[in-house]
Amino acid sequence: MKILVPVKRVVDYNVKVRVKSDGTGVETAGVKMSMNPFDEIGVEEAVRLKEKGVATEIIAVSLGVAACAETIRTALAMGADRGILVESDADLQPLAVAKLLKAIADKEQPGLIILGKQAIDDDMSATGQMLAALLGWSQGTFASELTVDGGNLTVKREVDGGMETIVLTLPSIVTTDLRLNEPRYASLPNIMKARKKPIETVKPEELGVDVTPRLTVVSVAEPPKRQAGVKVGSVAELVAKLKTEAKVI
Amino acid sequence: MFELSEEHRMLKDLVAKFIDQELIPLERSAIAREARGEAVGLPPEEEGPLLEKCKELGLWALDVPEELGGANLPNVALMAMNEELGRTCVPFTFPPDSPNLHMLMAVANEDQKRRYLAPYAAGETKSAIAISEPGAGGDPAGMLTRAVRDGDDWVINGRKIWISRVSSADFLIVMARTGEGKRADGVTAFLVDRGTPGLIVEREIKMLGGQRTYELVFDNCRVPASQMLGKEGKGFAPMQLRLTVRRLQMGAWCTGMAVRALDMLCEHATQRVTFGQRLADRQAIQWWITDAATRIHACRLMVMDAAAKQDKGMDVRTEASMIKVFATEMAADVIDHAMQAFGAMGVTKELPLQIMAAKVRAMRVYEGPSEVHRATIARRIIDARK
Repeated sequence: MKILVPVKRVVDYNVKVRVKSDGTGVETAGVKMSMNPFDEIGVEEAVRLKEKGVATEIIAVSLGVAACAETIRTALAMGADRGILVESDADLQPLAVAKLLKAIADKEQPGLIILGKQAIDDDMSATGQMLAALLGWSQGTFASELTVDGGNLTVKREVDGGMETIVLTLPSIVTTDLRLNEPRYASLPNIMKARKKPIETVKPEELGVDVTPRLTVVSVAEPPKRQAGVKVGSVAELVAKLKTEAKVI
Repeated sequence: MFELSEEHRMLKDLVAKFIDQELIPLERSAIAREARGEAVGLPPEEEGPLLEKCKELGLWALDVPEELGGANLPNVALMAMNEELGRTCVPFTFPPDSPNLHMLMAVANEDQKRRYLAPYAAGETKSAIAISEPGAGGDPAGMLTRAVRDGDDWVINGRKIWISRVSSADFLIVMARTGEGKRADGVTAFLVDRGTPGLIVEREIKMLGGQRTYELVFDNCRVPASQMLGKEGKGFAPMQLRLTVRRLQMGAWCTGMAVRALDMLCEHATQRVTFGQRLADRQAIQWWITDAATRIHACRLMVMDAAAKQDKGMDVRTEASMIKVFATEMAADVIDHAMQAFGAMGVTKELPLQIMAAKVRAMRVYEGPSEVHRATIARRIIDARK
């Protein structure tokens, strides 16, 4: 079984993000970029499935600017076999990404696509679900455990009420939650080997997908600074303030 | 513009992750050991699992040639990785330690390559080098330890001091005078195994920052002629080569140390409020931050430039001296400013800063004091005009 793992290039999780001065988005110039941590969990899970003999090939796909090749290279160093870069300077929104991934899935015919549950930049949490709908495949989102048994996939999901276990028929879409696994370090020999693994570059037009944005970002602003709090002298005063000033009780 | 290749950036990131997740958590116990007056070095129960992890990640034999099972990385990659190592006060280098490796690669004969270089390159053995003497430290050409040929053996007599890594070394490279040559001419290297009769570890010397060095006595220490390393009387140049390797490494470590100190300084300056104002809003602190960032940038470029030149086979002895002086003094200042900004906390034995300060203080002395390097650099510049 082939596994497709989309990996997104995002601002590194250690970086404190800043809003651009013109309010059009987040500053990315001169900022350290890395693979979306949830996608890293996706790559790790795919590599584990390959090590168990369930998967035969892992294809890492990244969509965006040319530098996304670096993100693919990281996935290759973790154990993916080859990469596909869908190169575009356009603002790729979840629906466009889902359509592009569908086009790649149609061509590659993977048995499983593992995506991060969301990307830590815009936190949309939409691509996986959209892709499942476009392909008409089963989906197990927010997975914290998954097992493949023949043509079935058992996914333990993290839901509001606790854990839910569902059984899906392959091919399927899985989106990863934080507790699915702990991604490995890419070791030095694997980093060296990654250089020799192929990355194919395609353009959205070649996949026949119109990537024109459907959503418009009106403005991006930092959250307002928290106001300093007030110290109260007694419980009675606190209750009074909650009643009269905050009007919450 | 200097830029690491994609692959080398990934290696640097790998080391950064290793430092953050494996070494920085060990700082607490290292700091506590030093505060108790013990050696800061890792005890076997901490070092063992670390070495296992290094092997698993391939962080091993980084500058060893491929035919000896190494990764054969260029110096630019090695220095980028060494910079990351500098960020922690836990003393650790990826095995094997580079300087002796390079000396062995340069001069060991086939038999010595098999007996010493191969196991050393594989990380199975550790080594030390004995150069300094009570009367010959910054000026090693003044050494007095002498080796005399006696039949098929060499007999070494003399005294060495400030020798690091002795406690864990399986063998020593011992520099001794042979024949009639004066100064650098007539210095020969010997391989002396631990436990060789006549090799006496006279005493352990406590150094700043929880470091340890040793004083050694050679009392009719007899080694077979096959233990002579390189050519008779020609040991000085390969020894210098080895020092150049260490000096670039020290430049990278200092960059890393300063990065850590600046990071701590900035973190503290944005939180600490005095007289109603954050430290970060005060000009004195701002200038420290600016100067530190500027000098870190300069130091990194100096190290990378020298590393790139070395990768092209160029002689970088002058650059190495410049780096040795600039890097150690830069890191000393940055760490000192961080300590100052932390106030009383900065001068406790609870933060990594004081270990880093002590470490960098010693670095201004070992591998050639700043003053000797300055004199050497000036002499080369002046001589070039003749």
